[in-house]
Amino acid sequence: MLPLSSHPAHPPGECPLLQVQNLTKVYPSGTVALKDVSFDVDDREFLVVIGLSGSGKSTLLRCINRLIEPTSGRVLWDGQDITAAAPAELRSIRRQIGMVFQQFNLVRRSSVLTNVLSGRLGYANPWLSLIGLWPPTERERAMRALERVGIADKVNERADALSGGQQQRVGVARALMQEPRLLLADEPIASLDPVLAHSILQYLEQLNKKDGITVICSLHFLDLVHRYATRVIGLKDGIKVFEGLPQEIDRKRFKEVYGEEAQEVRAASLEAA
Amino acid sequence: MKPRTPPPLWRATKWIVLLVLLAAAYSLSWRVTQPDFLKLIVAAPKAKQIIGDFLHPDIIEREAEISLIEIPFPIPCGSTEVEAAPAPVRLRVEPACAEPRGIFRVSGSDLGPGSTVVMRWLLPSGGTLPIEQYPVDEEGAFSAEIQARPIAATKDGVPARLQAEVSVPLTRIHVSQAMRDVLNAIMVTIFMALLSTTLGTLIAAPLSFLAARNITRTSRLGSVVYYLVRSLLNITRSFEPLVIATIFALIVGYGTPFAGVLGLVITTAASLGKMFSEAVESIDPGPIEAITASGARRSQVVMYGVVPQIIPDFLSYIIYHWDINVRLSTIIGFVGGGGIGYYLSQRFNSFEYHKASTAILAIIVVVWALDFLSAQVRKRMA
Ligand SMILES: Nc1ncnc2c1ncn2[C@@H]1O[C@H](COP(=O)(O)OP(=O)(O)OP(=O)(O)O)[C@@H](O)[C@H]1O
Ligand SMILES: [Mg+2]
Repeated sequence: MLPLSSHPAHPPGECPLLQVQNLTKVYPSGTVALKDVSFDVDDREFLVVIGLSGSGKSTLLRCINRLIEPTSGRVLWDGQDITAAAPAELRSIRRQIGMVFQQFNLVRRSSVLTNVLSGRLGYANPWLSLIGLWPPTERERAMRALERVGIADKVNERADALSGGQQQRVGVARALMQEPRLLLADEPIASLDPVLAHSILQYLEQLNKKDGITVICSLHFLDLVHRYATRVIGLKDGIKVFEGLPQEIDRKRFKEVYGEEAQEVRAASLEAA
Repeated sequence: MKPRTPPPLWRATKWIVLLVLLAAAYSLSWRVTQPDFLKLIVAAPKAKQIIGDFLHPDIIEREAEISLIEIPFPIPCGSTEVEAAPAPVRLRVEPACAEPRGIFRVSGSDLGPGSTVVMRWLLPSGGTLPIEQYPVDEEGAFSAEIQARPIAATKDGVPARLQAEVSVPLTRIHVSQAMRDVLNAIMVTIFMALLSTTLGTLIAAPLSFLAARNITRTSRLGSVVYYLVRSLLNITRSFEPLVIATIFALIVGYGTPFAGVLGLVITTAASLGKMFSEAVESIDPGPIEAITASGARRSQVVMYGVVPQIIPDFLSYIIYHWDINVRLSTIIGFVGGGGIGYYLSQRFNSFEYHKASTAILAIIVVVWALDFLSAQVRKRMA
């Protein structure tokens, strides 16, 4: 077990897995989505990011793997500056960071297998993969990933023939193909009903505990935060307003992050439990 | 704040001015086109003839096997010696001679069911005198009473001969020459359309990615490329295919399919490029984001995240454009682009309306078939 403390300890001389330093994002429209956000993430943490809609959670997660270019600040991966990485370098870092999305982001018309294999493109032969040729070992890897999330029988279905919960499991399997050290999950359960939400989060928990994959996940519900997080960051209007252990977040603190809408969110979270 | 309403007088004036302008436009169009409905009525007989021609397209010729059977027939009896040669088995005359105006019976057998027999006199003078046409029954037999005409009387000891022309229709349908030419020309047209659609697609597909905001406009250089390609497509699209084909016909030769293909390729590339780029712009960005996040290269992102999303749209646009190109290439033929249009214009120029009708029929059938096909394919892909 990791020591539970609000300031993650790491062996001296070794840097944390991920360091976010003074990250700021200003969209061309002028919206300041992130303002001087800094925090560290250690290996094997399950870090949950909470915050109101529009508080900058998605922007934060996407700045980490540079799906969105930060305006200023740095993100260090194993001590290496992602924000300054050249394209080839960036790809090899991205390869180690899996991502799961609120809207699943599957290619709806493609088969489940193709969707899962597409998570392996960073490792694949650039030419063979272009014409859809995959070595048998990769197909087996895809099958194992699907077995892991319990939908190996759907391998040949079209992605849009699956239910929402099943689609998100394909999304997790796709991320698994990267053999990631870090998994970014942007509200992975917001499009699912409460029971499915728990099942998806349990997969993430399993990956975190069993496989030692570090997870950064944005969530909305307080009880889920208590249940799964090892550490919590709260965002409000792009500013980090809270960082600490899940136990430290009570209704009062939650209200600070969520403001007046806290009651509503809590009601929803009770329902989900 | 309430929006200010313009004074009623001004509004009324606006309407009146508009109406006057509209009336002027219509009266001008009338004067320019000079419709002459009287002529349409006066020319009715001419129209009847032309339309009659068009209603009988030159398509098939019935193939038939024709055999002639002849029997000498003395009139009056004994006017000449008829050799007791073995009478032809398939045709018998009873009695074997007759007095002038006498009645005798001709009967035939084994003539083949469904065939027809045309009987005629071969006169001693060398002329022929038609008698009548008789149908043959299901057993292949026929029988008829014929009057011995005085004009067929024996002359200088030479008897007239009765001739039966038996034509057995074959099941084979013989395609007429015009039909063969039309089929040839319409195949040229279809392949012209196919080739120009294919070439146009090959040019349009890569251009469309460059002209798609979401793919190209990710950097400054990309923006420049985006605007260049987009302007190129817009400018090219404003050229009429007919005009381009006419110019090419002047360059590479009048009546050559190549001229038509060149004209079509250019307009197809421009208009498909625009349609494709809109399809690319309307795709779901989610999968692109997800695949990019996995460390894939740009080419891989396009292949796995973009292509599967655009394939149905692309295919239906391509088929739609092939359809358009078939129609266009018939017209382009008129300006020297080859194919069925060229054939049609030639037939019009030489007043061969039966053949023109065949060509028009072929165009109708092909256009209809393509319409049906593209509707089916689009339904499949929805
Ligand atoms: N592409 C964009 N262009 C301009 N502004 C944007 C863009 N994306 C997000 N924003 C703005 O940035 C702010 C932060 O958005 P972000 O999506 O990061 O919030 P979020 O916490 O993920 O919200 P949600 O819970 O609704 O997903 C919002 O005000 C949003 O309107
Ligand atoms: Mg979000």
